[in-house]
Amino acid sequence: MKFFLSFFILFFSIHSSTEYKYETVLDNLDDAWSFVFLNEDTILFTEMPGKLKIASLTNKSIINIGNVPEVAYSSQGGLSEVILDPDFDSNNKIYITYSAKKDNKKITLYLSSAELKNNELVNRKVIFEANAFRRSPAHMGAKIAFLNDGTLLLTSGDGYDHREKAQKLDNHFGKIIRINRDGSIPQDNPFISNKNALSDIYSYGHRNMQGLVITGSGEIYEHEHGPKGGDELNIIKPSLNYGWPAITYGIDYSGAVISPFTEKEGMEQPLFTWIPSIAPSDMIFYEKDLYPELKNNFLITALVSKDVKQININDLTTQKSLFTDLNFRLRNIQDSPKGYIYLLTDGPNNKLIKILPK
Amino acid sequence: MKIAKYPFAVLSAALFTVMLITPISSISNLIWLNSVNMPIGIFKSLEVLLFDFQRLGILLYGVVIIGFAVAFSVTGLLTKYINFHAKYLYAFAGACAIGITMYLMVVLLFESELLGGNRTIIGKILHWLAGFFGGYFYYFLISKNYDYTFIIRYLGVLYAYIILGFSLNWIFTPDTAAADFGFILKDLADNAQNALLRDFTSFFVATLIFVLLGVVTLNPTWFFSAGIIYICAAIFNLTAVLIHGTEYNLIYVGEIFLGLWPIFLGITILIKR
Repeated sequence: MKFFLSFFILFFSIHSSTEYKYETVLDNLDDAWSFVFLNEDTILFTEMPGKLKIASLTNKSIINIGNVPEVAYSSQGGLSEVILDPDFDSNNKIYITYSAKKDNKKITLYLSSAELKNNELVNRKVIFEANAFRRSPAHMGAKIAFLNDGTLLLTSGDGYDHREKAQKLDNHFGKIIRINRDGSIPQDNPFISNKNALSDIYSYGHRNMQGLVITGSGEIYEHEHGPKGGDELNIIKPSLNYGWPAITYGIDYSGAVISPFTEKEGMEQPLFTWIPSIAPSDMIFYEKDLYPELKNNFLITALVSKDVKQININDLTTQKSLFTDLNFRLRNIQDSPKGYIYLLTDGPNNKLIKILPK
Repeated sequence: MKIAKYPFAVLSAALFTVMLITPISSISNLIWLNSVNMPIGIFKSLEVLLFDFQRLGILLYGVVIIGFAVAFSVTGLLTKYINFHAKYLYAFAGACAIGITMYLMVVLLFESELLGGNRTIIGKILHWLAGFFGGYFYYFLISKNYDYTFIIRYLGVLYAYIILGFSLNWIFTPDTAAADFGFILKDLADNAQNALLRDFTSFFVATLIFVLLGVVTLNPTWFFSAGIIYICAAIFNLTAVLIHGTEYNLIYVGEIFLGLWPIFLGITILIKR
């Protein structure tokens, strides 16, 4: 059924983007990966090689932030996500994810908090180290979001070579993790009383999750890269198993079968599947009024299809392709405090593009 | 034939080795799926093994050919200077070729272990062993003289290998197979689905059997039978476009290719006889 649905969706995708105008606001960034608005005209952004920077979108000035942790920059690893504390205005606290070597050996995912003061990170401390050590930084996940109760969700990818561990609860490969802002573990976590599970795990059976949003009503939506075919959009609920790699709609990059099964009792089905893969890289849930046609829609950037997929929360069976004429692999999407949508392209010398409303 | 036997021995040894390597990943995957209580039965196991042999195998075949070509060329030179049993030298070269190729695939191409079966020490040893037997098989092939039938059989098996992929697709994943031909299977009425499935599956399975019979018997009629079917498919593809107004497609190019291949084999047999 899902195959049919996906092909149907693919067939009826509407390519409409010429009605929007674009403005490149920043250029020649060094593999920038994520950004967040400090105010309408200023962003804080990460660059994968390990730079955290503040940029003015009006005069284009860029300031380097000091005391950023050393990262393992290669392949899909490096300095990844940055978000602000919900109380940033009063505590100046930010959170960053990055891949780094432990004791100069294997690589894993880290989450640190720090205060942003005078263009320096102060009181920086690691609040989470993933028990997901690997030889190369592949499939890191590394997305973070705050739940409405103030706890943090973090996606930790399956590491590619370690995909089977996504089905085990004794590690952080292929998991969504829930912790408090200081790194402690909430006592209402779903596996808190399971002695065979890591108590910070929120859900499991994931692959490489690079989109994570919490809607105003508190629902958690996540998307993840599938293998060749089988990218997924999921609604996340505590303790649930999302199936990877025991069930999947894709095959391995080598052409090998990962699993001949697409469903099993006790494993969640995706809300939406992309076959062939679009390589979803980030997602927002647009709730502002500046683009009325996009309100209450998920906006999902894609690397392979080089567009933004628009999916209405009330109709998860159809999608539109937006901004196709940009023809860039898109890495990140954010909306500004006033509601303007900004897109970050992918790779070295990437750029930040502002979407002007119709 | 004397010169041609070396490259064809490399191609044949590579195909033999791929047949040994692909089940390593498939079986390790099946063992894991079974360990997490997925309902793995004979049918599912067969599906995984056959699909991997066809899809993963094609990628590996190219890689192993390159590795073997280099390793056996070097070994051929070494055998002139090293007084040691050539069959063991070639076997060792085969094992080294596979080991180095697998390592380079990780380091140079993907930074990750693309082959699931090569992620463990046991898996790596099994891959080296497959290379060892591949090298041994290569020596076996070059140590004897062959006539033209060796090449006919090799090309016939390679052809069957390609057709096997289409056949498996239609048997096990008809939705995907139908999508490859540009339509959504489930959109069709039940009768139409049934007709399409039985006709397409019969088409590919029949031609697969024809060619395999040709390989075994070297009777050119079997090769011509397969070739005629694909050439007819190409002709009626174009007929449908030109006369009945269906949308132009490039599938006929593949059909002509798949038609001429076995016809070439059949004609070669006739000429040689």
